[in-house]
Amino acid sequence: MTEAREMLRVEKVSSGYGHVGVLEGVSIHVMHGEVVTLIGSNGAGKSTLLKTVAGVLSPTGGSVVFDGRDISGITPEKAVEAGLALVPEGRRLFGSMSVGENLELGAYARRRSRSFSSEFAEDLEIVHELFPVLGERVDQSAATLSGGEQQMLAIARALMSRPRLLLLDEPSLGLAPKVISEIFAILDRLRSRGVTILLVEQDASVALRHADRGYVLRTGRVELEGTASELLANDDVRMIYLGSWKKSVSGT
Amino acid sequence: MRSSGYKRFVWWLVASVAVMCVPFLTDNGFMLKILAKDVGTNALVVLGLALLFGYGGQVSLGHAAFIGIGAYTSALVTMRFELPWLAGVAAAALVSAAGGALLALPSLRLRGHYLAMATLGFGEIMHIVFREATPLTGGFDGLRGIPSVAIGGFVFKSPESIYWLVWGIVLVALLLAYNVVALRPGRAMRALHGSELGSQACGVDTVRVKVQVFVVSAALAGIAGSLYAHVARFISPEIFTLHRSVILLSMAVLGGTSSLAGPIVAAVGLSILKYVDSFVPGMPDAASTFLQDWELDIYGLTIIVVMLFAPGGIGGAFRSLRQRFRKKAAPDPEGEGVSAA
Ligand SMILES: Nc1ncnc2c1ncn2[C@@H]1O[C@H](COP(=O)(O)OP(=O)(O)OP(=O)(O)O)[C@@H](O)[C@H]1O
Ligand SMILES: [Mg+2]
Repeated sequence: MTEAREMLRVEKVSSGYGHVGVLEGVSIHVMHGEVVTLIGSNGAGKSTLLKTVAGVLSPTGGSVVFDGRDISGITPEKAVEAGLALVPEGRRLFGSMSVGENLELGAYARRRSRSFSSEFAEDLEIVHELFPVLGERVDQSAATLSGGEQQMLAIARALMSRPRLLLLDEPSLGLAPKVISEIFAILDRLRSRGVTILLVEQDASVALRHADRGYVLRTGRVELEGTASELLANDDVRMIYLGSWKKSVSGT
Repeated sequence: MRSSGYKRFVWWLVASVAVMCVPFLTDNGFMLKILAKDVGTNALVVLGLALLFGYGGQVSLGHAAFIGIGAYTSALVTMRFELPWLAGVAAAALVSAAGGALLALPSLRLRGHYLAMATLGFGEIMHIVFREATPLTGGFDGLRGIPSVAIGGFVFKSPESIYWLVWGIVLVALLLAYNVVALRPGRAMRALHGSELGSQACGVDTVRVKVQVFVVSAALAGIAGSLYAHVARFISPEIFTLHRSVILLSMAVLGGTSSLAGPIVAAVGLSILKYVDSFVPGMPDAASTFLQDWELDIYGLTIIVVMLFAPGGIGGAFRSLRQRFRKKAAPDPEGEGVSAA
């Protein structure tokens, strides 16, 4: 177990919007190479937690440690430089810009690095290999992509920053089941390449089937945690979050 | 992208020729002077506010103060130090920009809408300074006998020359703004315009971009202030009030966030309201008095109507008209990026 190093430790973090507290002492951790999922119902604070880790929100208490370095209250641009990449809920692409320009902006934080242009070309190749559709649509404006393509572009844009930890917020939002499985197939490929992922999902059954471990968030607190299989077998989880799970199992 | 930039340039050129031809159509010098001194300088300030609102998502309730800072700075530089107008306008832009940076840096570092509040307070404080710093500003009485604009040996005295000077500066500023927004250095700005969270996720320093845009808008107001001071040749604190700031902001909001020409059109339309009697010759006194008395209410009403029926402002309305005309759905380049749900 010596080689399993900790990548992210969120320790008793409180956070929210202005005077509205949302998270109340949340503690989670993510090891190198792990896929960890956060599940919980609407308004539980999942997006708030990701935004706090990504520096978009400052924690009002507790600490965020990334690769051994305390990054609590870091600015979003420093977080990207440190190797954290957020794929926000609802994609948040630059709609009037082309696919190519969106990818270019994904690499914005590394624009001053000395070997930038060669690295950029490499990354672009990797991204096009992972998402061939995007390669075909480089000059198309992001707003005219289908929902699935937009989600792929949002993930691709995040990968362009060469993240060490990918923070994915509800990649399945608003997508058809077939497209969702395409997206998760890509996440599996990223995982097999050793990319560390913290994944927020509404659809707990999909999330847990693609993760190593998970946390259940409820009204700003961690209610349950465990390996993916433990959570899948947990009665509470099955009742509250996997309402459709039994059906999908009996269906196959 | 490139071809739309070219089309925009052609539009700019056509509009510029039209604007610059106005002095040939009238010999009403009084009107030309108003179009320069009041309408043109407002348009310059509103251009900055439109950048701030559209690209930085911020509003300022204190831009009259930056106009004032520019006006007093320029007047002092030319009167006390007897330097040429170009030195005055440069100083005006610099001092206003510095004031803008001092105000924006601390208030934008805090997350939340502190800048609007800070500008409101700043505007009020500067109004008091203009009134009370009598040795510098002449207090209530203001400053008289400010020299006319002069470049090299040429003195801008005739209404035509003043009109061309002011509108020339407005049009060049518009062209520069288009280019900054469209070219590579402006991509962080465009990203912020597209989606704030999206640009943060890409590592764009959104605070820095907002401060930069605010500083630019303050500098434009400073230049407008210098132009005003040297054309009117008289300034006093009552020209740089909260009332003025609110009207300027309304013009920017009315113009919409999707274009820069829209806010300028709004600035012209609403600035003329006050002088409607001299622009529409046959207008009955009662009608023009009514329009002037209800000026502020008309602004308010216009904004409400725009918010209800044309949320994209004048720029947005033009865009949708054009799209309807072409019967082709083009993506809406506005809003908080492309989102699901
Ligand atoms: N920008 C905001 N300003 C104020 N309150 C907010 C903001 N965003 C979210 N909240 C509040 O914070 C709480 C948690 O929201 P959050 O978005 O983190 O939930 P979530 O778990 O991601 O939910 P969902 O599954 O619906 O995305 C909610 O009560 C929400 O109303
Ligand atoms: Mg959420």
